[in-house]
Amino acid sequence: MWAYLVRRLILASLAIFGVLIITFFLSHVIPGDPVAAILGQQARQEVIDAMRHKLGFDRPIYEQFVIYLDRLAHGDLGDSIATHRPVLQDLKEFFPATIELATTAILIGAATGLVVGIISAVARGTWLDHATRFFSLIGLSMPVFWLGLIVLLIFYFWLGLFPGQGQLDIFISRPPRVTGLIIADSLIAGDTAALMNALGHLILPAMVLGSHALVGIARITRASMLEVLGQDYVKVARSKGLTERTVIFRHALKNALLPIITVIGIYYGGLLEGAVLTETVFAWPGLGRYATSAILSQDFAAIMGVTVLIAMVFSLANLFVDLAYGFLNPKIRFE
Amino acid sequence: MMRGRYLVAVVLLAIAVLLPTWAGGAPVPSRVPANVLVIGTIISDSNSLDPAQAFEFGSTWVDLQVYDTLVDFSRDFTRAVPRLADSWTVSQDGRTYTFKLRAGAKFHSGAAVDAKAVEFSLRRAHTLKLPPSFILTDFIKNPEDIVAISANQVRITFNQSMPEVLMASVVANPVASVVDPAVVKKNAASDDPMANRWLSDHDAGSGPFKLIGWSRNIKIELQAFDDYWRGRPKMGRIFIQEMPEPTAESLALQRGDIDIAMRLLPGQIKELTGQTGFVTKSSPTFSLRYVGMNVGYPPFANKNVRNAVKWAIDYDAIKRIWEDTIDVGQTIVPARMFGYLPETPYKKDINRARQLMQEGGQARGFTAELLVPLDPPLPDVAAKLKEDLGQIGINVDVRVVRNADLNTVYRAQRHQMVIARWGADYPDPDNLAKAFADFDSRVLAWRNQWDHPVKKTVQQAVAELDRTKRDAMYKEIQRTVLDEGPYAVFAYPLRQYVMRANVKNFDPSPLYETYELFNAVKE
Repeated sequence: MWAYLVRRLILASLAIFGVLIITFFLSHVIPGDPVAAILGQQARQEVIDAMRHKLGFDRPIYEQFVIYLDRLAHGDLGDSIATHRPVLQDLKEFFPATIELATTAILIGAATGLVVGIISAVARGTWLDHATRFFSLIGLSMPVFWLGLIVLLIFYFWLGLFPGQGQLDIFISRPPRVTGLIIADSLIAGDTAALMNALGHLILPAMVLGSHALVGIARITRASMLEVLGQDYVKVARSKGLTERTVIFRHALKNALLPIITVIGIYYGGLLEGAVLTETVFAWPGLGRYATSAILSQDFAAIMGVTVLIAMVFSLANLFVDLAYGFLNPKIRFE
Repeated sequence: MMRGRYLVAVVLLAIAVLLPTWAGGAPVPSRVPANVLVIGTIISDSNSLDPAQAFEFGSTWVDLQVYDTLVDFSRDFTRAVPRLADSWTVSQDGRTYTFKLRAGAKFHSGAAVDAKAVEFSLRRAHTLKLPPSFILTDFIKNPEDIVAISANQVRITFNQSMPEVLMASVVANPVASVVDPAVVKKNAASDDPMANRWLSDHDAGSGPFKLIGWSRNIKIELQAFDDYWRGRPKMGRIFIQEMPEPTAESLALQRGDIDIAMRLLPGQIKELTGQTGFVTKSSPTFSLRYVGMNVGYPPFANKNVRNAVKWAIDYDAIKRIWEDTIDVGQTIVPARMFGYLPETPYKKDINRARQLMQEGGQARGFTAELLVPLDPPLPDVAAKLKEDLGQIGINVDVRVVRNADLNTVYRAQRHQMVIARWGADYPDPDNLAKAFADFDSRVLAWRNQWDHPVKKTVQQAVAELDRTKRDAMYKEIQRTVLDEGPYAVFAYPLRQYVMRANVKNFDPSPLYETYELFNAVKE
């Protein structure tokens, strides 16, 4: 097990390094001057030249890469030319908001998706099955941006059940930063008002963000369950006179879980990249908007920082999924 | 089971029928306390609140509230009015200004604002050489030309004669804000001796509001400064909230969670304008949109061809594309600025344009590439231009590009045609005249390769002390650019905000997002 873990971590590091090389060279060869982009068309040429020199953009690209690697080895991701701050500081500020949103979204998506998928499989061919599949299809084809606005219109504007944009009401002070996660920090500080407010703000964007995962998980759950429910051991279980609940949850679901776990892992990894549309509609200060503005302004250091982070997240998500296999199915051995 | 399903259906139907009824009617009362102002806008474009560095709309506007400058502009931008300096004298040659500071002005730290602090602040911005510093360095040669000559007197020697509006353009600019030297020195670091990093999100000002905090991409929080020299501002707190999505911002305004929406789309503004409980305020901005034609591209070397383009454009149609959020303007000095020439001679006249194409030797037409930024509605404007110019034989090849790419090509003089914007860095016609008509300044005239003798007038007008003569010189420059220049100016964009009707004295300014908010109040 430990040898497997070490080998996987080494492989993940190699993959991350590969991503690093590709992103660095790709982002440097696409046309456009990042300094001119940031400073705008009215900036004086001498200011642009001075900044290019300060940032080392006037050096050969391989030299810039070596400098970047050297700094990276010292834990320095460089400074963002858009925010004028260390990229690491930006990531520390924006990534926790994304973790909070993505985790809640995947919890909502996975829990609901599993239930919907199981119901749909068990009630195969009935109106319940058709209805859930119909709504799944609608959910899958609904643009997140539009869904976000509709959800805001109904639950925030018309019904007033949930607060609007942001992570907290504007008048509520953020609890002291320990983890960066508002929910965790409110708990640590014992600040119930901030905790309840933050939870209220989290639900709508998490529902919207989790909707696609929900549909995907529901569909794979249904397919996987249908496959398992047709297996001989399920028939045996039923013929033994076990209750339907025991058959479904003890025998069928446990065996159907492997592909579902894979899908959940992939969705979670994807959600952790940040979701620019959901973040924009709900003014959520997450990684998605940071990454998008970095790309649009060719903010190299920020692009690289986000890429390294996402590559790490994906590698870890994959690793956890593989490890979960072992716990779910003792026949799988880590070699 | 069936009864349950019917019940659900009835409830859903009731909601569907009732929701629109609830949505209409009187506006929801504001949920913001009376002494607090919440403003929805986009602050994520700001990268630093250090006045020596702030150069975006959002950051300069915040600095206007947190910091004081020596002088301010009159609301019509034609005169300098006192701010930290209660009076000033000017030397005969117009180069040396001596400012006398008012008594009683304090920094937020409690320290008195004195002449040494002014000297320190302006020298600091001059030396740091950050993006807005050219506004100082263009007119003040050395940091040592800013001198505290007594505890309450500062002398600034400029490198040329400075008409009053131009002096104010430099000294009233946020880059010339006065910072608290003790606070700056206390927060300096060995690799950051001027505390530029620290000041990017901290306060060392003496303005009407204190900066409580800036949570990036979330909010900026300001608090009234009790000891402000004009007295305590009317609003106790101001929250500037990040609202990147205009529909969500509109919902927040109508729901009463924000008092002012600064980034609504034209359709949303129209919908709310005239509704009970909301007020729309509008101001032209000191910026313009234009089509640039590169004189280095052979067809545009001929003045008649350039003017044919100006006669072929349907200016009113462009205004409609913009959903009436622009004023049609054709001169390079925008409306409400000193020296403005209120002339719009060009309107769509295809026959005249064709005649000019013929006179310019292009009767058979030609192809030209038009670069246009992604920002809506500019691609639509480009499509309309393609249609208009197609009627006189110019086959426009529209290329929609990122600003970064457009800037690179434009700066290298590699474009043929471009749709671009210019916003005044300071509210004096010199800024626009230099950019559009002075080839030697290496800005827009240079990029479009238009080297015209009118540049001499531009270079003289900047230092002309006689107001009437100066006004006449800028009008002459504008007429020349209008008649011969490689620009078809077509728009002065408007700044439009919708706010709750009880908000008073929150007015968009042609230069900044708003005027200074000392008098803003909720009734």
